[in-house]
Amino acid sequence: MTKRLLIALVGALPLLAFGGEARAQAACPHKLGAVIPLTGPQGPIGKPIADTAQLAIEHVNAAGGVKGCPIELVLRDDTGQPTLGVDAARYLVDVQKTPAIVGVVGSGIALAIVSSVTTAAKVPMVSCCAVTPTLTKMAEDGKTEGYFFRTIPTSRVFAVAHAVATTDRGYKNPAVIYVNNDFGSTLLRDLEKAIAALGGKIAGAVPYNENQPSYRTEVNQALALKGDALILIAFSQDGATIGREWISLGGTQNLVLHNTLRSQDFINAVGARFLGKAAGIDNAQVAGPSVDAFNAAFKAKFNRDPVGPGLHTVYDSAAVTALAMQQARALDGTAIRDALRLVQDAAGEVVMPGAEGLKKGLDAIKAGRKVRYVGATGPFGFDKNGDVSGPALVWKIDDGKLATDKVIDLEQMAALFRRIGY
Amino acid sequence: MIAQLVVDGLLTGAVIALGAIGVTLGLAILRFANFGYAEFATVGGYGALAAVLAYGGTGAPLGPFTFGGFMAVALAAGLAAAGLMALIGDWAVFRPLRRRGAGPLVLIFASFGLALVARNLVLLAFGPQPEYYSREIQIAVLLGGVRVMPDQVLVLAVAGLALAALVWLLRRTRIGLAMRAVAENPALAQACAIDPEAAIRATWLVTGALGALAGTLYGLTVQLRPEMGANLLLPLFTAAVLGGVGSVPGAVIGGLLVGVAENLSVLVLPTSYKAIIPFLIMLACFLLRPKGLFGR
Repeated sequence: MTKRLLIALVGALPLLAFGGEARAQAACPHKLGAVIPLTGPQGPIGKPIADTAQLAIEHVNAAGGVKGCPIELVLRDDTGQPTLGVDAARYLVDVQKTPAIVGVVGSGIALAIVSSVTTAAKVPMVSCCAVTPTLTKMAEDGKTEGYFFRTIPTSRVFAVAHAVATTDRGYKNPAVIYVNNDFGSTLLRDLEKAIAALGGKIAGAVPYNENQPSYRTEVNQALALKGDALILIAFSQDGATIGREWISLGGTQNLVLHNTLRSQDFINAVGARFLGKAAGIDNAQVAGPSVDAFNAAFKAKFNRDPVGPGLHTVYDSAAVTALAMQQARALDGTAIRDALRLVQDAAGEVVMPGAEGLKKGLDAIKAGRKVRYVGATGPFGFDKNGDVSGPALVWKIDDGKLATDKVIDLEQMAALFRRIGY
Repeated sequence: MIAQLVVDGLLTGAVIALGAIGVTLGLAILRFANFGYAEFATVGGYGALAAVLAYGGTGAPLGPFTFGGFMAVALAAGLAAAGLMALIGDWAVFRPLRRRGAGPLVLIFASFGLALVARNLVLLAFGPQPEYYSREIQIAVLLGGVRVMPDQVLVLAVAGLALAALVWLLRRTRIGLAMRAVAENPALAQACAIDPEAAIRATWLVTGALGALAGTLYGLTVQLRPEMGANLLLPLFTAAVLGGVGSVPGAVIGGLLVGVAENLSVLVLPTSYKAIIPFLIMLACFLLRPKGLFGR
């Protein structure tokens, strides 16, 4: 018995010693990590985001893959909770050895992962949807060591868009219901400043906790503020619950809704006949051939238009990371971090979304030429903090269907930022 | 504002009261704290939902309410589902344990286990997303400065009717008498030719039905979620303990008090801390008056 155990141990030793290295060399397919909520209150918006990330990887693989191998997207569900998000990221980094992580929807989750997993492991995170300015502050303080990137502008863009949507409609004194977390409270501070600069004043703000069955008390508190409108900064399911209770308790139909509520599900849950005066905000999709290329590819795959939060940004987060993986000397986090900036060379060949566009880009990188990825969100470039700037849009609901009301383009956005004094 | 909070509190309190009656009867007659009790609310609520889904809605809305006449059939389906679960639970889990002379602690843990099974079966069948019987939005009516929804008034009326029916059952029927006798003294009851097993089965059925009614009414005015029972558990036990174990009027008053206290707490506490109020009441009750308001 002891002898057999000994033989087994001796037999296993080389595996223990060289297993890791052997796997790293023969690692086909190359792995790319993704953390996205598939269930929980963010599930309804997370699922299409995950599908779109998968679409980007399909395009990369159809274009021949990266460094001679297809890419496998290793997707983990964070259910919208930072603790599970950290577990998921740790699993991806420690067990699956993914050299980069994309996706990451919640700001709280991105914060937790950046501060306790990816930076320490020297693995870049390219978030599609985390908008908190806290991460900008961390980058400025050197706490992210350059390993944090995002393809979505920070929530200040949302604050400006909310303020524009509110004051454009002549609401002077809106009440706010906001989600009680880092994202919500930061956005509220930026929003107060933005609305004050544009000539309004917030009547008061009521925080709410996620995932409760009823928000009657919060709604009653907000009703007592007697605002002339309601700015609702809430996630999809909670937003629907709050919206229903707000309307049914006799709240004003002058609603300004957050981008997480830009979905048919929300309209169905509340009822289109109460939403005739509702407006909302989101990141704007810049028009242009690169955006059309993504929209066409999305429609070909899912047989619907890419309407919803995070779809364009997650495509870009996965596609730009794949290009950087090809560009990087080796598939390690630090090389990919540096390569993420190289594939946005202003003088490079323009690379667009879709299998064909990405093939052009991957081939150019293989041939040693410089490239510039112009994505589903249009031309974008990471600044020194890994952030991107972007335009915003105001949407409305016409006959129960989502429609774009106006676009605040990049230049207008920059002017508004100066006027508000961010 | 205060009047609104009190009215809201009474309306949630009515649902808590129904469930608390079930808890208090269970404690008195079955002689253990059934921590799986709140799952009757979940199973009953979702049982009614299954009927609504199968029928394709609740029918054309009746008068000012959000639901149609089919809701009565759905409610019956929910009651049947919870009753069935109660009988199966007793037959498969609790009766064998009783026969082996298991102590209250074993029964408590068994009830926890059963609760997990029931909750996850519901989760498996219906998914984690919130559900509604009807997606209609109801506009509140202003009654003397207080916003009230017609559905909630109906819930209050149904809760009152159920209470009256229960009192009649306990006071005026043989099986009610048997249940009360077993609660007083099982050995003596048996000596008087009362079958304790029959009384226990009746208790399971009655408490299961009360739980299912509470769950369906909760689903009607708030929403259905697989974890709704788990969230109701603490308020239910607090109401039962506050009212005094075994006292039906106590459970009703306890339920209403817990509902009102929870809602009034937002005057002094941030809304997010509302959920700790039942716990504080329970603690205060154990420290100041362990037998409850109406306990003997």
